[in-house]
Amino acid sequence: MDRKGLAQIIYQICTVTLVAIVVGAAASLAAIGFVESVHYLNGQLLISPYARVLAEGRPLLVAAATLLVPAAGGLVVGLIVHFLIPERRGLAPPDAILAAQTSGPAPGFRSGLASSFAALVSLGSGASVGQYGPLVYLGAMFGSLAGRLRLNLRHQRSIAIACGVAAAISTAFNAPIAGLVFAHEVILRHYSLRAFAPVTVAAATGYIVANVIFDRPALFLVSFDRVEHSYEFLFFAVEGVLCAGLAWAFMRLLRASTGAARHYIAWPWARPAVAGLAVGLVALWIPEVMGIGQETLRFATIEGAFGIGELGLIIIAKLAVTALCVGFGFVGGVFSPALLIGILFGAFYGLVLPYLIPVPHSGLVVYAICGMMALASSVIGAPLTTILIVFELTRSYDLTIAAMVAVVFSNLISYRVVGRSLFDLQLRAWGFDLSLGRDKAILENHRIRDYLSREFTAVDESESVGGVRQRLVDDHRAEAMVLEETGALLGVIRVQGVLNSPAAMPARDAMITSFTTFDEDTSVWDSMDMLRGFLGEAVPLVSHSGRLLGVVPEEAVIRAYLEIVHDLREEENEAA
Amino acid sequence: MKRLSAFSVVFTVAGLLSLPASLHAQAGRDDADVLTVATWGGAYEESQRRAYFEPFTEATGIAIKTVHYDGGLRELREQAANNRPEWDVIDMIQSDASAACQEGLLATIDPRILTPAPDGTPAVEDFMADAIQPCFITQIVFSTVIAFDNRAFPGMKPDSVEDFFDLETFPGKRALRKSPAGLLEWALLSLSVPREQLYDLLSTRRGLELAARRLDGIRGSILWWTSGEEPVELLTSGQAAMATGYNGRFFHARAMEGAPISVIWDGQLIGFNSWTIARASKRAELATEFIAFATQPARMAAQASLISYGPTRKSAQQMVGLHRDTGVPMRPYMPTAPAHMGRAVIRDHRWYSQTVDLREQWFLDWLGQVDQKPQ
Repeated sequence: MDRKGLAQIIYQICTVTLVAIVVGAAASLAAIGFVESVHYLNGQLLISPYARVLAEGRPLLVAAATLLVPAAGGLVVGLIVHFLIPERRGLAPPDAILAAQTSGPAPGFRSGLASSFAALVSLGSGASVGQYGPLVYLGAMFGSLAGRLRLNLRHQRSIAIACGVAAAISTAFNAPIAGLVFAHEVILRHYSLRAFAPVTVAAATGYIVANVIFDRPALFLVSFDRVEHSYEFLFFAVEGVLCAGLAWAFMRLLRASTGAARHYIAWPWARPAVAGLAVGLVALWIPEVMGIGQETLRFATIEGAFGIGELGLIIIAKLAVTALCVGFGFVGGVFSPALLIGILFGAFYGLVLPYLIPVPHSGLVVYAICGMMALASSVIGAPLTTILIVFELTRSYDLTIAAMVAVVFSNLISYRVVGRSLFDLQLRAWGFDLSLGRDKAILENHRIRDYLSREFTAVDESESVGGVRQRLVDDHRAEAMVLEETGALLGVIRVQGVLNSPAAMPARDAMITSFTTFDEDTSVWDSMDMLRGFLGEAVPLVSHSGRLLGVVPEEAVIRAYLEIVHDLREEENEAA
Repeated sequence: MKRLSAFSVVFTVAGLLSLPASLHAQAGRDDADVLTVATWGGAYEESQRRAYFEPFTEATGIAIKTVHYDGGLRELREQAANNRPEWDVIDMIQSDASAACQEGLLATIDPRILTPAPDGTPAVEDFMADAIQPCFITQIVFSTVIAFDNRAFPGMKPDSVEDFFDLETFPGKRALRKSPAGLLEWALLSLSVPREQLYDLLSTRRGLELAARRLDGIRGSILWWTSGEEPVELLTSGQAAMATGYNGRFFHARAMEGAPISVIWDGQLIGFNSWTIARASKRAELATEFIAFATQPARMAAQASLISYGPTRKSAQQMVGLHRDTGVPMRPYMPTAPAHMGRAVIRDHRWYSQTVDLREQWFLDWLGQVDQKPQ
């Protein structure tokens, strides 16, 4: 290896590592700041039970806070989203996925900040939304910033985004391996050493930062000995299937709620306030629906904390309120609510099971955790990540294996019924379909316009066939584009079609009018599809107004496909 | 006239000079230089007598009378309401002190009365964080622990909070303080709630109900105690198999009297005691003088060499060595010993001081309930 090559490799490794550490530390600190701020706001605004009990002497104040804080928070969120975020919505993991997968323009830093602030207000004022979505976006935002630096690294943006996301998850769950896997499973969608190495460094950085300065109790700490009976694995699998059903219901509700918001409330900025008011009203009766519900999450793993009926009621209320909050435009994720609904459903299943099948089982904890992970993994489409979260938080093999069974059965079903995840559903709605893998989505994301050629033979509609024949011979082409004076494409003349036509015949009478065209938005994927059965030389590409912009030779479509797929394969197989 | 006035000036000056002395003598005669300190009795009070009260009387000539106090604000409120102050200095649990301060039952204490450490470190830095407050000075770290009578369990010994609630494996009476303090935490700890989340869960209605249901499981086996020395008696007399109580008392019984008592450090509840001055007290100056004396590092270390409660001043901690009478090394018995801190719960005094009524009501409700044993 020559010296220049060696220097280049050393530069690459050092720069990538540095980017990973800087982005990881920034994302991790931001995540801590975010979680601490939510906690602080919950305390100040009388959302957390601890703060509410300290104000026990003033029940009217507590009731007023319950009713008004989420509504007021909703109004603030609505105004921020409407006036400060150009995208007019909270930014979320799908934005991070899109920014990592494509090279198109990503939401700006200002949008990111405003969106994170809106999420902070949403969570701080007790809306039933999740905190991990905003944290993932926060990480992606720092990655995106680093992606803009001129460091001359390949796939710089996607790797930097993955680093930020991995660090954020690693910090939030105190689970570095889960952070690392999440970044690959959800954001990058492939495994290569080039990405794997820096993302690992970032996840480790997040873990270190979290351990040094973060002092939040873990998401769940449970004590569990072992699964006592082998037949229980069957119960876990059934639980997984039921959770897939719940995930389906959850996503349907989310969509219905989004539709309802659009239908009934004309002003988008007012929608979150309405949802907030509903949260407050329900919370007066069922306080568990407010906020992230750390306490409820813990109670779900304690035998005797809930009655069966009570659990059913809280599950339904939390489902409805979460769908309302997310659909009506509060800014926040769905992972935390899914975890909570899942663990409550798991506890419910664990309580009901002995009545249905009266055989001994290993207690509530394992069923609660299985439900939690099965539902959450179906919603965010990250089975590996959720399995690892269980493992890293409990360090129990038995619990992890039980959760694993529930998670895969849930994902098997939900993948078929609703698709890989809520994120992918959203991306599909924006025209980025990952359901058949990265290749199709990325081919769909590239425009064939980029492969446009200006080399074509244009003829006027009134020109004679003889003249056209001569020009084609001169240009060494077999096809001519027949244009109006305005430049609009009228038809195509193929040389084989006019060999015997009279020389004086005007071009407009000899041309073919039914032929394949591309437009400005035709993607590489679509162009491949449209070329099926195509016999010509090149496909004309016309603007929306019908003007001919150029042609795309058959060769260019194949070249586009090969180049993009080659890039993907290279990205997936690269070393550091 | 001139003469007269000169004479009168001399007379007046002499009179003025003698005034403070005579006033002081007057006050001394009326109150017989007795300062009333409300404190907790037993071995604890004994350690205070030797470390603080006797040396104070020796140094100042002011006698100290102690009155028995078992925590809470009831007596203090009554004395303030009737304007009949009986107590001057009170040795209060930090959460009570904080609540009493908010209610205006306590006098303010000037932090400048606190002496610096022997090496000159100012008191503010020498005391642990948050120990110096407007109306109380936190002086010791104590711990409420579960202890058991070794004779009651000849085979396997209990070693966790969970075992306290396990009447099947560890049968026998349980002695508990008749107060909504401690038992709430232990009820949830025994259900493997992590200690970081105890007070968050206890802040919910569900948490309190859960604690009540857990306590229902041992309702029939509870012996109530109110005064700090009782748990030791209940254990040594064989009336109770397990008891909650203050770690210093159990230490005293074991180390000094050879009682067959072992302490379970799992789930120990770390609390703090603070010196306070009753607002109604007519001897606030003397009381201040006493607190200044009792918070000197050497005095605090002297108490820690008699009973296993940790002083809140770093300089005092460094002076703690062997027990003054028996020569037992004291540090391993301190609640703050590293080996005991792993499963310790730091009492959230803010939560305690704000939930006085709530806990009281919960406790009365629970006591009033008919036993509803879970199946």
